[in-house]
Amino acid sequence: MEIKKLILKFRVIMLGIFLLLSLLAINPHPFNEGASIRSVDFNSSASLAGIVTPKPTSTPISKEIVIAVNGVEIKTVEDYFVEIEKLTIDEPVSIKTTKGVYNLISKERNGKLDLGLKVVEAPKTNIRKGLDLQGGTRIILQPQEAISDDDLEILLLNMNERLNVFGLSDVSVKPTNDLEGNKFIVVEVAGGNEQEVIDLLSKQGKFEAKIGNTSVFKGGQDITYVCRSADCAGLSPYRASQQNLETEWASTFQFSIALSPSAAQRMADATKPLQVVGQYLSQPISLYLDDQLVDQLQIGSDLRGRVVSDISISGPGLGRTKPESQLTALSNMKRLQTILITGSLPVKLDIVKIDTISPVLGKNFVSSTIRMMLLAILAVSIVIFIRYRNPAIAIPIMITSLSEVVIILGVAALIGWNIDIASIAGILVAVGTGVDDQIVITDESSSHRNKETSWIKKMKNAFFIIFAAYFAGVASMIPLMFAGAGLLKGFALTSIIGITIGVFITRPAFAAVAEQLHKEE
Amino acid sequence: MAKGVLSSVIHFYDHRYKQLLVLPVLLLLFSLAVLGSHYLKTGEFIEKGVSLKGGTTLSIAHPADIVELKSFLEGKFPNIDLNVRSLSVAGKDVGVIVEASDVKAKVLLSAIEEKIGVLDKNQYTLDTTGPSLGKLFFKQAIMAVIVAFVLISLVVYAYFRLFLPSFYAVFSVFADMLFAMAMFDLFGMKLTTAGVAAFLMLIGYSIDTDILLTTRVLKRTDGTVGERMASTIPTGLTMTFAAMITVLVAYFATESELLKQIMFILWWGLIADIIFTWTFNAALLRWYLENKEIKKEHNGN
Repeated sequence: MEIKKLILKFRVIMLGIFLLLSLLAINPHPFNEGASIRSVDFNSSASLAGIVTPKPTSTPISKEIVIAVNGVEIKTVEDYFVEIEKLTIDEPVSIKTTKGVYNLISKERNGKLDLGLKVVEAPKTNIRKGLDLQGGTRIILQPQEAISDDDLEILLLNMNERLNVFGLSDVSVKPTNDLEGNKFIVVEVAGGNEQEVIDLLSKQGKFEAKIGNTSVFKGGQDITYVCRSADCAGLSPYRASQQNLETEWASTFQFSIALSPSAAQRMADATKPLQVVGQYLSQPISLYLDDQLVDQLQIGSDLRGRVVSDISISGPGLGRTKPESQLTALSNMKRLQTILITGSLPVKLDIVKIDTISPVLGKNFVSSTIRMMLLAILAVSIVIFIRYRNPAIAIPIMITSLSEVVIILGVAALIGWNIDIASIAGILVAVGTGVDDQIVITDESSSHRNKETSWIKKMKNAFFIIFAAYFAGVASMIPLMFAGAGLLKGFALTSIIGITIGVFITRPAFAAVAEQLHKEE
Repeated sequence: MAKGVLSSVIHFYDHRYKQLLVLPVLLLLFSLAVLGSHYLKTGEFIEKGVSLKGGTTLSIAHPADIVELKSFLEGKFPNIDLNVRSLSVAGKDVGVIVEASDVKAKVLLSAIEEKIGVLDKNQYTLDTTGPSLGKLFFKQAIMAVIVAFVLISLVVYAYFRLFLPSFYAVFSVFADMLFAMAMFDLFGMKLTTAGVAAFLMLIGYSIDTDILLTTRVLKRTDGTVGERMASTIPTGLTMTFAAMITVLVAYFATESELLKQIMFILWWGLIADIIFTWTFNAALLRWYLENKEIKKEHNGN
């Protein structure tokens, strides 16, 4: 085959351009080393030193990578943790990343030394791995009642705000709906703090304070300020941790809030008729979250009938040990503060699916998938070779199939699509139908058949079949895009993108190869 | 194709095509019988896994004796629907998969930990589907299959503008799917969300050869109908064999249970595709053309 003539053909040049663009999008960095920063916790040592969480839209390769801690080179995530283990609290730490050097002071958070950096293995390409390949948790929530699109938008804004206020950044919250118009919210957490996320997002967060049966204030508009600094939020100085049972400790958190003038007035009105019993009033103030009693507070007798806007909110934390109960109390406090700041969600949510995926099980999956794809393409090439006994046909089919995989991955990298197991199945479909089409082109163009038919007519015949198969393939995938909370959307979308790329880019290039072969015959 | 084989195939397609219908009709009856008896036994045509009926799948990267674990869990939860399998990678057991309905994920996990020791969070994958979502998904999966068939029928009809040939092509695909479902039942498998994707994939895969056959037979005029059919077989079979070899390689090379189920369904569907395309669809098309010829002659006289 005259390769020179072939590569000058427009359709082959187009394939070349697409391959090049795909490679640029994938941006392979096979020798990347270090610990890539996935997120930076709010108010942590790292965030105070100026390290910022990468934008959700940033490409994996562009993310900042930790390459040294205190001058010690970091090549893997394990190296990073080994160095962090060596640190002590309140010690200066130097972190060198691909973007600069940061000087941190190591701090204690939640009972242990934590710089507030969440890191993953440095990525080698811009292809984003889906949750089932990298580990994490997927939670699907469904509103308990039908909600409007506006309410759904408010719901999502509120959920995202809760995550921001709470300081969780590597969580994705996306709406999805199904064939019957049911709405769902898919929450994906890449790290290991899924329980926190579940507690934070699945709660409607309807907060209410009552005296007797009278509602005095609610979360949201009635509360104008929520204190989160150490001087007015933390473990209660008045109620010490205590042991309830042999294996149960209880601690209490406390933080102050400011009420709106109207809420403060309601509070004054509600306390006026109460009687003074010793130091306190005859009825406590009861705090409810989602209709469940969180805590009851005695009201000081001097507050009867007074308009007071600064009040204290408290609640418990239980644990097997005293420190554990204190940690739980602080984490409950953080959640309640978040909910009070962000207000309640417009509807109650049901958790309809939780998948917690182990990173260990998916670890070898990527390499075994690449092996599987290469083996499949090789096996197909053998079948083609046996059929045509001509490497000039088998090799282009093999190259076309490989290019298709590269272009699909390139598109996925470009649009930020996550490649998960279902998408891999989609790529296999695309490559499989691609091979089918190339067989059709080869056979239709074969000079043994219809010697009198012109080349253009032969290609028309081939592409008639190819387009019919293409439309049928797309038709079979479209309903799947919308079925059942979008669980198979990845598969359907990848298949559709793949076969479309095949029909419009790789198949015409293969037809150019076939034309060249035809001419030479 | 060898010349002797080719001429006998042409002979069959031209003269004895009605006999070709025997095998696919038997196969169709076989599929219907398997699916029917499964329905009578269980009330369902196909057994649903926990992702479609609600429940928990726990994949643990920790090898364990599955028989022992199963009897232990059955003793602990006597009234639940339970399934324990080994998780193997390239033929090596690397862990276990436990599927259960009607038990809370955490309760199941702690029962398993009681038997095989406390597991690190990284060592397991927990997949819990609420029964409402499972049911909803299954209902919509059936809808997706129906909609896919409607859309495919429209595409095929728009292409050929002939009702019967379009119907034969789409029915062949439907029969492929029934056979894959029957084999699925016979091997005692349970349908997952990925399995649903596989059936839709199968529709896309198997319509290719039917479109090829119908196009070559209806849109071309060279040679006899039998010759056109016979000359299409090498193309179609190469297509199907290429797909089958991919499926086979993927089945044995993948570590993913999901991909394995997809490949299993495709494998049996493609086998059925060979039979239904080249005997059923081909014979009916031949018959259709024969009738058309007769009508033409009749009208001519």
